[in-house]
Amino acid sequence: MNSLIRLELTRALRNRKFLFFSVIYPSALFLLIAGSADGTSEVDGTGLTLPTFFMVSMASFGALTAVLMGNSERIAKERENGWVRQLRLTTLPGRGYVLAKTASAAVVSLPSVVVVFVVAATVKDVRLHAWQWLALTGAIWAGSLVFAALGVAIGYLATGDAVRPITMIVYFGLSMLGGLWMPTTTFPRWLRDIAEWLPTHAYAALGQSIEQSHAPHAQDLAVLAVSFVLFAGGAAWLYRKDTLKA
Amino acid sequence: MVGFDQVTKRYGDVRAVDGLTLDLHPGQTVALLGPNGAGKSTTLDLLLGLRRPDTGTVRVLGTEPREAIVAGRVGAMLQSGGLMDEVTVAELVRLACALHPRAHPAAEVLARAGLTKIADRRVDKLSGGQAQRVRFALATAGDSDLIVLDEPTTGMDVTARQAFWATMREQADQGRTVLFATHYLEEADAIADRVLVLHRGRLLADGTAAEIKARAGARRISFDLDGGPDGTVDEASLRALPHLTSLTLSDGGSAAGSRRTVRIQSADADATVHALYGLGLHPRNLEVAGLGLEQAFVALTAAEEARQP
Repeated sequence: MNSLIRLELTRALRNRKFLFFSVIYPSALFLLIAGSADGTSEVDGTGLTLPTFFMVSMASFGALTAVLMGNSERIAKERENGWVRQLRLTTLPGRGYVLAKTASAAVVSLPSVVVVFVVAATVKDVRLHAWQWLALTGAIWAGSLVFAALGVAIGYLATGDAVRPITMIVYFGLSMLGGLWMPTTTFPRWLRDIAEWLPTHAYAALGQSIEQSHAPHAQDLAVLAVSFVLFAGGAAWLYRKDTLKA
Repeated sequence: MVGFDQVTKRYGDVRAVDGLTLDLHPGQTVALLGPNGAGKSTTLDLLLGLRRPDTGTVRVLGTEPREAIVAGRVGAMLQSGGLMDEVTVAELVRLACALHPRAHPAAEVLARAGLTKIADRRVDKLSGGQAQRVRFALATAGDSDLIVLDEPTTGMDVTARQAFWATMREQADQGRTVLFATHYLEEADAIADRVLVLHRGRLLADGTAAEIKARAGARRISFDLDGGPDGTVDEASLRALPHLTSLTLSDGGSAAGSRRTVRIQSADADATVHALYGLGLHPRNLEVAGLGLEQAFVALTAAEEARQP
């Protein structure tokens, strides 16, 4: 099991395109959005400066990229080419494959979170208490499990051909509508009502509440918890279905 | 070792495996033959716990198939088994070794599969035959009691195929049970102690290659025969020969006039030839030859097709 995680990691770190999109891209996007901001203008209704607000958005976006993009496509392709079958002929327990994928994604998602923090702190002078940095890292990292489960579910749902467009639609849809690229306060009212119930919105809101030194909203926690149960349950169900038809 | 008891597996209306009962014994090298769609792959899937039977039971080494695999007692190489890409051959083999409870050293596994020279090559850059050798390495990464191979030499050239079977024979000599499905009947003939012929999910024949050939009408007899005064050959008396399984008559060539060539398949060539002389005929150019397993296989499955269309 550990050997499979190690090999999955080696392979993820070897894939430059994947590393670029999950580690460099969110930081670059952060600089692009927050670059022209003067560091004092606040995002409406949050009490947070623009760089502080977007630091969490982009860290969440980076973690989302790392856990969602790689896994869904790999799982769908490896189901199709028979690697999943081959692994079932080894002593690896059935769950091992999915767990190794999730674990290696979690390892890759950590740098994508930390790099955004480092860039925000050094380039845009974002200052927070030590506990806030730690809590943010922990919350964003743990929250990414929700989307890791979603990635696994898509991998078991989609075929090798369809997986990329499906992942892209889900990925961009969740990022944009969830307010990771722009605050949902800029959305029209009806769209904001929808966005509030998206797991990505709750995910970023969790981080922003830490920045505001607030307790997280019960609704955000509930949305994340329900999403996790839905995605993980769906992934487990699809996994079992796939195993039976081998 | 391996036991199938009244195993049936359906896909929709098709019975891929239909009441299959068989036992494999330790140390045997067993070939699984059958035309396309005979249920070979499904049989192997059931044996490896990749699919569950609708009815009946499958036992492997005294337990459920899945348990035997988790205990590392079965090494398997499937045609449909894919490989992880973006990693090197050596990395993949090391993974297989790390997963096996009684693993051989990775260098040894690589050498045995003939992969040492391409150990650093990426798996997605391999030829079909090379990928097949990687699958073989994964199947033999550790000390297993049973090795299951589905069409193992597909994509290999003749030299690679010979090297492969030499390695496989070593495995069998060490007391392992080897079960392989193949399209190359000469492989089954040369390597297997026991041959199973599947047809429409049922066991059509089970025995040594020699026994299977005998069952199919193992000897081919051919001779030329001069026609009687009216230029005809008494076909009915030829057809009445003992142990005869098939008969064809053809012209013996333009120069020969009324001479005809007779080809017979017989389950007992000695008795057939004896009776032939007993008819008072004077066969010329008599030849008796053994039937290859391939012809035996074709004869057996064709006869079965004719029996139940």
